[in-house]
Amino acid sequence: MTATSDHGVSPGIAGTHAPKAAAARRRNRRRHLPQPVRGHFRRLKTRLILGFLAIFFLVPFLRWDRGPGLPDQAVLFDLPGRRLFVFGLEFWPQDLPIAVGLMVAGAFGLFYATSLSGRVWCGFACPQTVWTDIFGGIGRLAHRLARGHQARVRPITLALSAIVAVATGIGFTAWFVDAPSLAGRLLSGDLPGAAYGTILVIAGFTYVLGAHAQERVCLHMCPWPRFQSALLDRDSLVVTYRAARGEPRARKRVALRPDLLATPAAAATAPMAQVTAFAVAADGRVGLAPDAVAGRGDCVDCGRCVQVCPTGIDIRDGLQMGCIGCGLCIDACDEVMTRIDRPTGLIRFDAEQADPAPMAPPARIGLFQPKAMVFGAAMVAALLAVTIGVTRMTAVQIDVEPQSTPRYVLLSDGSVRNDYVVRLSHRLPRLDAVTASVDGMPAAELRFAAGDGADAALMMVSGQRSAANRLLITRPPLRGQPAHAGELHEQPAHAGELHEQPAHAGELHEQPAHAGGPRPVTLVFNDTETGAELARVDTRFWEPEP
Amino acid sequence: MASPDHHERPERDDLTGRYTTGHEWDGIKELSTPIPGWWVGVFLVSIAVALLYMYLYPSFATTERYYEGALGYSSAEELVKDVTAARAAQAGMRNALVAAPIESIEADDALRRFATAGGQAAFNENCAACHGVGAGGQAGQFPALVDDDWIWGGQITDIRQTILYGIRSDHPDTRQSMMPGFGEILPPDQIDQAAAYVKTLADPAQAGSRAAMPGAAVFAQNCAACHGETGGGGRDFGAPRLDDAIWLYGGSTDAIRRQIAHPRMGVMPAFGERLDEATVRMIAVYVHTLGGGEK
Repeated sequence: MTATSDHGVSPGIAGTHAPKAAAARRRNRRRHLPQPVRGHFRRLKTRLILGFLAIFFLVPFLRWDRGPGLPDQAVLFDLPGRRLFVFGLEFWPQDLPIAVGLMVAGAFGLFYATSLSGRVWCGFACPQTVWTDIFGGIGRLAHRLARGHQARVRPITLALSAIVAVATGIGFTAWFVDAPSLAGRLLSGDLPGAAYGTILVIAGFTYVLGAHAQERVCLHMCPWPRFQSALLDRDSLVVTYRAARGEPRARKRVALRPDLLATPAAAATAPMAQVTAFAVAADGRVGLAPDAVAGRGDCVDCGRCVQVCPTGIDIRDGLQMGCIGCGLCIDACDEVMTRIDRPTGLIRFDAEQADPAPMAPPARIGLFQPKAMVFGAAMVAALLAVTIGVTRMTAVQIDVEPQSTPRYVLLSDGSVRNDYVVRLSHRLPRLDAVTASVDGMPAAELRFAAGDGADAALMMVSGQRSAANRLLITRPPLRGQPAHAGELHEQPAHAGELHEQPAHAGELHEQPAHAGGPRPVTLVFNDTETGAELARVDTRFWEPEP
Repeated sequence: MASPDHHERPERDDLTGRYTTGHEWDGIKELSTPIPGWWVGVFLVSIAVALLYMYLYPSFATTERYYEGALGYSSAEELVKDVTAARAAQAGMRNALVAAPIESIEADDALRRFATAGGQAAFNENCAACHGVGAGGQAGQFPALVDDDWIWGGQITDIRQTILYGIRSDHPDTRQSMMPGFGEILPPDQIDQAAAYVKTLADPAQAGSRAAMPGAAVFAQNCAACHGETGGGGRDFGAPRLDDAIWLYGGSTDAIRRQIAHPRMGVMPAFGERLDEATVRMIAVYVHTLGGGEK
């Protein structure tokens, strides 16, 4: 291309787009709250939601006796203390892999459920759904309380929503502080600022996402529906409008399709009186075979399935991203089918590759499809790893850090001293003091530098969850070479033997022929009170070149 | 070759309803999609904020000086302010450190922790250049402060005095000792004998045979006055022990011979002239708790 193409005109047309965009926004906005519905899935959803709310609000109030000095809340996320209490377990930051394992298990569980049955997590268990459902209920309740005064609806809705949002914030905070005293401390202003901030933030998000954004979160913000098409297959049991039975839609007084009437089950429930003489031509909606459309299908196009849908979709358009698999449209449709004396199940959980016959029974859930089984197996493996991780969590963690400036200290009597920093943390009910000993250097002398246990191989912990101290380990002179006669060590007489019979050296000293540099030793830490071994730590003892 | 006509009305794309730019490449026309207004707005605001920053804060240099900004901000001044604030916050502990008898500091848990933490920092700044980080010393150069061998004494008061006045420094109260160079006093064979004798002092296995060595007499005549009959040293006048396993300037016979003939004597500055009393005490406590301190 030549330079002429660079002379393109860029007309100022931004204004012409504005009305179009606004129209699109208006189209996307739903006009009404989802209507209430009764039925099997509504009951299931209500029960699950009540169960989840009970867990959310009541679990922090469960108590668990951990002994003195520790919180007695069964589940407590102690952020200042950087530890999580979950019943009998205590998690530290270094146990993070366990949390990762739980997340992996959760992810694969979600994959598993989705490949079996679509967005059922979204429809029944997702917090967004739970709170959207609550706020939907509030909207309907406000209309009832306002008793026809339109002006009152908004303030009532706002007040109820604010109560729910703040209660959610407080309920969330209860997981992080002592729950029973939370209300009192909240009112007296005794809580840290972060707690009030958390309540405000959670309440704000609850209101914005639950009361305002509602189903838009599921449609536009949540990434989950974007995965869904990769996880579903033709065996997945999803909410399905059975077009073969429902189409073409028409009002009830239009004659039914003969093939629907011919079905034995249908014949029993649909009296011939309903069949009128006015057969309509097919409107060709779903492309049914020409001989099947001489009459209407079971769908009377009442629109109930759309009105009750939390995400406002029309399931009759087929499986789509917005369907959260909650089954409320099934309840709505079953209600209508019952009222017009047609068999229920025009909308139902069914597989895409189910029997296309109009009155075929629903497909069964394909628990053993390979894809689902892989996800399920991965979830089980992750849970197994978490279980193993939990059982292997150590109650006492002791780290020993050899000091390298200098690596060793030569003392005046010829003995060699190494310094270590010992860091201990424990999640035992009680630990007062720790005794250290060294495995592999029998004559070694140990002492901690600071604290009550000075001059002894004793480290005071006394109620603390973690402690640190300097540990000095002194190895006596090997060849009986000390300076003053008065301070000779126990085995100076062996010195001569050592030179003559190096084969016996091992019996006398650990490594008499050691060439200097590091040698491996094992430090053993015991509970001073019970004598129980708490930890063995492999480290090194550095010796001078001879 | 498409040649857009500037006077014609812009072309509208059928599919999207948008105008095109008039460009065409291989039959593909570009839609005119201007940058969204909000984006342009944010961009302009960002520029305004950047200009405001440049006006308020030091932002550009000229050949001689730099623009100091309308607020007169200076990171160096901020540092001084922070340091002053930190000093003020520590004032209580520092005063307590100076007020307490130095021997009792380690018994007070809070004071000891404050002193060792501050002492470590001050040590690394002032002492580590010679004595090493961690006070391990340097073989043949500077003594280790972590062992139990002290030329001038290892109690905390001794350590404090050494820090305050130094060793062979120019301070009038400095620790002062002087070993004569025996290279000009004794004949070489006597120096050899003395070195061989001194080498055996630290070995108890040779305690019996030592007296018969020719160096014994040389030692008794020339060295015992300061280093003691058995080489036990003398802290009052800074004579190192010779009967232990620690040798400042090397423990081989050759190194001992060199030290007798042409002695090396280390120098340490008087840190009392550079550091305040609280810092000196912190360093003293830190060194004393390193593992070799004497009660």
